[in-house]
Amino acid sequence: MRARTNGMIEFEGVTKTYGPARSRPALADVTVAVPRGSVWAVVGPNGAGKTTLFGLLLGFLHPTAGRVRIDGRAPRRYLRARGAAYLPERFRLPDGWTVAAALRALARLEGMGAAAARARADALLERFALGAHAGKPVQALSRGLLQRVGVAQALLAPRELVVLDEPTEGLDPLWRIRFRAVVDELRAEGRTVLLASHDLAEVERTADRVVLLEAGRVRDVLDVSRAPDAAQRYRLALAAPTPAVVEAFPGAAVEPGEDDVVYTVTVADAAELSDRLAALLAAGGIVSAVAPAAEPLEARVRRALSGGAE
Amino acid sequence: MITGTAWLTIRARRRRVLALLAFAGLFLAAGATARLLAADAEGHIDAGRLFAAGGTPGLSALVLTGWLIGRFPLIATLVLTAGIVSDDRAHGFARIYAVRPTPPLRLYGARFLTLAALAFAVSAVLLPTFDLLLLGTWAGPATLVLILANVLVFGGLTALLSIWTRGDAWITLLLALAAIVWDNLRRAGILDVPPGIRDVIGFLLPPQAALFALEGAFGSAQPIPWDAFVYAVGYAAVMLAIAAWSLGRREI
Repeated sequence: MRARTNGMIEFEGVTKTYGPARSRPALADVTVAVPRGSVWAVVGPNGAGKTTLFGLLLGFLHPTAGRVRIDGRAPRRYLRARGAAYLPERFRLPDGWTVAAALRALARLEGMGAAAARARADALLERFALGAHAGKPVQALSRGLLQRVGVAQALLAPRELVVLDEPTEGLDPLWRIRFRAVVDELRAEGRTVLLASHDLAEVERTADRVVLLEAGRVRDVLDVSRAPDAAQRYRLALAAPTPAVVEAFPGAAVEPGEDDVVYTVTVADAAELSDRLAALLAAGGIVSAVAPAAEPLEARVRRALSGGAE
Repeated sequence: MITGTAWLTIRARRRRVLALLAFAGLFLAAGATARLLAADAEGHIDAGRLFAAGGTPGLSALVLTGWLIGRFPLIATLVLTAGIVSDDRAHGFARIYAVRPTPPLRLYGARFLTLAALAFAVSAVLLPTFDLLLLGTWAGPATLVLILANVLVFGGLTALLSIWTRGDAWITLLLALAAIVWDNLRRAGILDVPPGIRDVIGFLLPPQAALFALEGAFGSAQPIPWDAFVYAVGYAAVMLAIAAWSLGRREI
C-alpha cells in the first residue's frame, strides 16, 4: 500500500528482514504517514510486525530498505534532539530499582536536574496512584502496577512523539478508563501518538486511525474517528413488527434474535433518513428508537484481513 | 545524573558485588591463616613452617592463592562489567534509555567508570592487604598501576564485546587465558609461527606482555615500566573508542 503525505512520522517503502537468510521480511514495503497531532493505532495478529514497526520508528532497528523519518529527521537524530515518550511491550526495569528511584533516574536521562526529576517523579507517583509503592523494588510489583509505572515513565517529559506498545495490557478496567483520559490529554496537547494494541474496543475508543498490519504488510488504514459507514447506517427499533419497514427502507436487515422489531437500515444521509422515517410513520409503523449503527472496528478489521470477503 | 546512575548501577549489581567481596574475603582468610601458622619474626611467611603445618597441600594452596590473587583484578572486572551493555539490550532496558535525549555514550560511559572504579577499589584494598599479611609490607604504587592496567584492558574489551554479544565476559576470559598461554609460549621461545602471523595474533589478543611486565615489576619490587603501562592503556583506549563508535550504530 502506498499513500504519500507529509506527516510527523513517515515510512517510505520500508522493509525489514532479520538474520542473514533474508527470507520472509518482518515488514515489507510499508509506506505510512502519520500527521502531527493525531492518534494512530497499529493493530494486527501476533507476528504482524507491530513491534518491528515501532523499533524502526524509534531507531532501535535499521531498515533493510526504505526510509523512516520523524519530523523530517532520521529517528536516532530526532531522538537525540527531541526525545520521545515510549512504553515498550512487556515493560520491565532492572531488578533492585525501586519505583521512585527508577522514575527519578529516567527523569535525569530526560535531561532534568535532580530537584526537577524528583518533583516530576513525585507528581507522576501521585497521578498514577503509585505513592504507596514508591519504595518497593520493581520486581515486587504486580503486572498492573508495573504497567502503571511504565505509562508514568513514558510521560516524564512532554515529548511531541508518544509511542505506546500495548499500553493497557495488565491494567484493570478502572485504569483502562484513566488511560483513555491520558490519551485524550495527549491529543488535546497536540502530541502525535502511535499505539499498538490487541484490544480493538480500546483502540476504537482512543485512536483516530488504525493501521492494519498483517504478515509485515499494511493491509489497510481505517478511519475510526469519522467512519463513513457509521454516518450512513442506523439501528431502527419498532414498537411492533410491520411489513411497512421494508417498503420504507428497501434493504433493511432485521437483526438476529430481535423478533422483527430491530433493523439495520442504510441511507445516503440524514435527509434521506428523515424522509424514509416519515414514510414509515405514515404507513402506520411505530418507531421506538433510531441510533447510528457504527460498524464495530472488530468487524472492519475482520473484513480487511479476509480481503473484503466475509 | 552520574551520581544517580552510579548508585543504581551498583544496586542492580549488588549480588555480584557481594559475591566478589565474599571471594575477596576467601583470599584474606587464606592469607591470615598462613600468617597465623607460618609467620616468622619479620612478618614473612616462612615456607618451611608452612610445610611443617600443612605439608605439600598447604604450600601448594599458598602458591595457587598467590597466582590467583594476581588475577583478581581481571576477575573483579569481568564479574562487575559482564553484560554492561548486553544485559540492557537483552532485557529491553536499552530501548527505554535510547528514546531519551541523553546520549548512550554518556550513560554507558558513566556506568563503565562506576564499575571500573569499583573493580579497582576492591582490588586495591585486597591486593595490598594480602601482601601485608604474607610479606609484612606491600609493593607500593606498582600494585595500583598493575590493577589499573588490568581493569582498563579487560574492562575496555568487555565493554566492546558487550555491545555485540551476550557472551562478553566469557569471551574476554577466553581471550585473557589465550593471551597468557600465548605470551608464555612466546617468552619460552617455542612458538613455531611465522613472524607476521605472530605479530597479528599478538596485536589482537589482550596485551599480556605489557601486563606481565607490570606484574613482574610488582612482584620483584622493580620500578614501574611505564612504557608497558602506556601500551596497556593504549590498548584499552582503542577498545573503548571502538565501543563508543559501535554504541551509536548497533541495533538494540
